[in-house]
Amino acid sequence: MRVIRGSKQTAFENAVGDCLDDLYRYAYWLCRDRWQAEDLAQETILRAWRSWPGLREHRAVKGWLFTILYREFARSASRRRLNTVSDEDLLMEPEHHVDPGLALDLNRALRGLGEDSRNALLLQVLGGFSCAEIAQVLGTSEGAVMTRLTRARQALRRALEPEERGREAKES
Amino acid sequence: MNCLELRRAVLADPRRVDTQAMQHAEQCAGCMEFLGQALQSEAKLASALRVAVPEGLRARLLDRTAASRRPVRWLALAASLLVAAAIAFFIGSPKPDPLALAGINFVVFEEAQAIADAKPADPAVFARVAREMGLSLPEQLGEVNYICFYPFAAGAAHHALVKTPLGKVTLLLIPERPLAARAIAAAYGLEAAIVPAAVGAIVIIGESGRSIGRVETLLKSI
Repeated sequence: MRVIRGSKQTAFENAVGDCLDDLYRYAYWLCRDRWQAEDLAQETILRAWRSWPGLREHRAVKGWLFTILYREFARSASRRRLNTVSDEDLLMEPEHHVDPGLALDLNRALRGLGEDSRNALLLQVLGGFSCAEIAQVLGTSEGAVMTRLTRARQALRRALEPEERGREAKES
Repeated sequence: MNCLELRRAVLADPRRVDTQAMQHAEQCAGCMEFLGQALQSEAKLASALRVAVPEGLRARLLDRTAASRRPVRWLALAASLLVAAAIAFFIGSPKPDPLALAGINFVVFEEAQAIADAKPADPAVFARVAREMGLSLPEQLGEVNYICFYPFAAGAAHHALVKTPLGKVTLLLIPERPLAARAIAAAYGLEAAIVPAAVGAIVIIGESGRSIGRVETLLKSI
């Protein structure tokens, strides 16, 4: 399909273009399904496009996009329109990961985290957001985000690094 | 900074370790090792999360925005703006302030969705932001419901609804928006005022200038 782009469209594309890959990855790890992730990213971009004329602080566009995606995911999940893949039924597709073995381990470890901790971690690692920015996206306090991130990293270390498990066992 | 504080900071955000923490790590071998391991783990985690992006994703996502059309909404908006502009021209009203107008557009087009989307927000956060902006939230104001922190024209705003005796009023607190002077706008049967606070600006949207004026007076009653 050939589309005609105006100056508004070009400005929008320039602003959001650099965020699309990370936005998709965030969606992917939220719903852990490539097709649903792309739908979620698509819905996010359409919503962002509709609200674009009202956004004046274009430097904050990445946080804005991630916020829209998170809300869209939460809304869709609550309406059960978007069926997140259950942990038991999850079928990873190794060819889509740089390191398939690590991805499987990571997926298992992420499943062990609470949703809040997992979400904060994804926003920080994929979005590059600070604790204060994540607090704004999730509508919580910065302190709560720091606690979630600390717990998440400790749990991941235990799950992904066997020597860490051994050390903690000895210490206890 | 001590070892415990450094480890807390590193676990919360290893890629944003501040100067104080770095100075401590340089003098503490254990913490330096901890920091090094945390950064290694972080790199490994980032690499594992970076799944391959489907081919052609960018084009698919962006082409649909270029192809999307929302004629009804935009025609309605254009028609309303035209009517507002014509009225302003004929009665010689001052030009509506764009940010106040954006506040009205937010209430008309986005507010309902924002409320539907929002998770329960902590009223203490709203009270803190108001305090930091030099605003008062007296009981006479009415019941205040904090909705969320929301992307808005000037960057981001704390969005709240106030049930006043004169009707519903929407408040948008924008701490990072300095403002020199009060300005107003009217559209879609609503009125809005953007007023300077000690820190930042407030957009107040309501059905009448009287309800807006009441809220403004009470907010500034410190």
